[in-house]
Amino acid sequence: MENKWEMLESSNEEREKIWKKNRTFAGDVWFRFRHKPTAIAGLVIILLLLVFALAGPMFTDYSYSKQNLEVVNIPPLMKVFCAPDEDGYLYITQSLKVVWVNRDGTLGTQLKKVREDSASSMTIFDCNGKEVGLYYGKKPYVLADPNTRVLYSTEKIWNKSYILGTDSLGRDILTRLMYGTRVSLMVAFVAVLVNMIIGIIFGGISGYAGGMVDTVMMRIVDIISTIPLTLYVILIMVIMGSGLKSIIVALGTVYWVDMARVVRGQVLSLKGQEFVLAARTIGSSTKSILMQHLIPNAMGSILVTVTMLIPSAIFMEAFLGFLGIGLQPPLASLGTMCNDATENLRSCPHQLFIPALVICLIMFAFNFVGDGLRDALDPKLKK
Amino acid sequence: MSNQNILEVRDLTKHFKAGSKQVVHAVDGVSFTLARGKTLGLVGESGCGKSSCARTIIRMYDVTSGQVILDGIDITHMNQRELKPLRKKMQMIFQDPYASLNARMTVRDIIAEPLLAHGIVKSKEEANELVYPILDRVGLTKEHANRYAHEFSGGQRQRVGIARALVLQPDLIICDEPISALDVSIQAQVINLLKDYQDEKGISYLFIAHDLSMVRYVSDEVGVMYLGQLVEVCESNEIYKNPLHPYTKGLLGSIPIANPRLARQKVKSSIEGDIPSPIHPPEGCRFHTRCPYARPECSMEKPQMKDVGGGHLVACHLYG
Repeated sequence: MENKWEMLESSNEEREKIWKKNRTFAGDVWFRFRHKPTAIAGLVIILLLLVFALAGPMFTDYSYSKQNLEVVNIPPLMKVFCAPDEDGYLYITQSLKVVWVNRDGTLGTQLKKVREDSASSMTIFDCNGKEVGLYYGKKPYVLADPNTRVLYSTEKIWNKSYILGTDSLGRDILTRLMYGTRVSLMVAFVAVLVNMIIGIIFGGISGYAGGMVDTVMMRIVDIISTIPLTLYVILIMVIMGSGLKSIIVALGTVYWVDMARVVRGQVLSLKGQEFVLAARTIGSSTKSILMQHLIPNAMGSILVTVTMLIPSAIFMEAFLGFLGIGLQPPLASLGTMCNDATENLRSCPHQLFIPALVICLIMFAFNFVGDGLRDALDPKLKK
Repeated sequence: MSNQNILEVRDLTKHFKAGSKQVVHAVDGVSFTLARGKTLGLVGESGCGKSSCARTIIRMYDVTSGQVILDGIDITHMNQRELKPLRKKMQMIFQDPYASLNARMTVRDIIAEPLLAHGIVKSKEEANELVYPILDRVGLTKEHANRYAHEFSGGQRQRVGIARALVLQPDLIICDEPISALDVSIQAQVINLLKDYQDEKGISYLFIAHDLSMVRYVSDEVGVMYLGQLVEVCESNEIYKNPLHPYTKGLLGSIPIANPRLARQKVKSSIEGDIPSPIHPPEGCRFHTRCPYARPECSMEKPQMKDVGGGHLVACHLYG
């Protein structure tokens, strides 16, 4: 090239070109969402819990309500004694019965009691024709040969019949956990639905109308939010009877107030912005201004509020269950499972630990997803 | 239907309530007419009521008193439903290209919105046939249609805003400081686009600005506003050659001159002090608190708009 300083021509097309990649809004949100590890972790946990709660019951042999009083309070990891004929194990239950355990870890039946030997503090059981003595003179209780007084060797094996053990009525904890998670997710779903429908519409109208309408609507919200939820649930249960229905009705009629406040605040601040004024001068209807302009722009804070309300709704249900004014037995919810477990917390802490862990998991997952969504939904944070 | 004047404003007044008893006199008795195919520039310092005036004319606000006549039809007291068909005739371009476009909508949806709102097209697919030509007209391409507003530069956004106003093919566009948020290099681009379109379609503009040099370039007539009132209206070159009202003189005196030799010759006539509160506007002539030529009657009696010859209107006790 002779002249290094020759001017380059630029066409109009090049000048106006946007060099960024073109993505749809949803694609954009997903792009930002999946680059946040905590958000993806939360999403995966929620999906796994959904599969666990919805598909899980199809794969278990137990129902949430079927009691088996022969196998009460069995832990997942059992301390067992080798049976005298060496083809199985024996497990001592808390009610001082002896249960046969097969070599693969599945539970068999209770051994028959032969007689009581109070002189040596032993109960003698019959194990395939041989006598086995349960010594209860001093803790920990042990199994021994009643004649030679030699202890059987002990081992720790995993419970294969009841992977997470059984509760105080001999019900499978894993199965109950599935149903409990199902209840929690259902409560989450109801909270979202109510927030999305009542909260957004109520808040949207209140914010958009402004003036006297706004004042009256917000006072209604104030009144609703001052009623304590526990009192409210009890009152509803008096009328409707206890059960999931009452809890859903209680949450449904109350849980949208925070959302209504958030949406109202957002709409109030958005409706003075120029793009809304522009829509009005164009002649767009109030409905389309609300649905196309105000609510989509408020969506970020709406989603954050929803994902913050979901854990609180789930926790509220668990809390009511724990207090004993939620689901009634034999129905299972995470809260009632925790409540049942407190009775024998010392001997079987896993019964409390497992449902509490699931509650934590659900709350963590929703919080992470909410956090990720908030960042992903803000187009101004685009990378 | 061809009416000589696309817009007539008679004694337009807009008061806002501020608190329980105070009233902001945002616009107070403004009258002007805008002929078809012409541009009226409205100038004045910040807070003088230019934007309130524009927003009242387009009926974003309710009129306190006075009349707004659009193409021979009195729209002053129409409700929003009656107004809707007339909105096609009158569109608005906003000041801030960043705030006036919805960040959640693509450019196609933004431009198609007025078409859908007025039922000109039934579906978004149908709208494309009208959206693409208008995008092309403002110098953007089909590829831009799927983009979101925040991906564009300020000048591009403002052209999207213009495209939204043009797509209904209105007779009147109210431009509320359309260039004040743009770079100087982009301002000319936008102004030329507006002027070219006017030459093509014979559209009228009510052009609000505080940049006097730009107003001179675009306007046929210029109105000067002070504290909610028009103080001087005349043909645009005349106002620069022969400003009469002391406020207009002061405004023109505040334009910086690029040539230092000319700048030294210039008579200094800047305006002292601040604009009084529109809650308690001064009695009589509203400018008398800052006017270097104020006489006793100025604080007593409100000056009337008088024609001093050649369609040059001025509201000042010094004339007539």
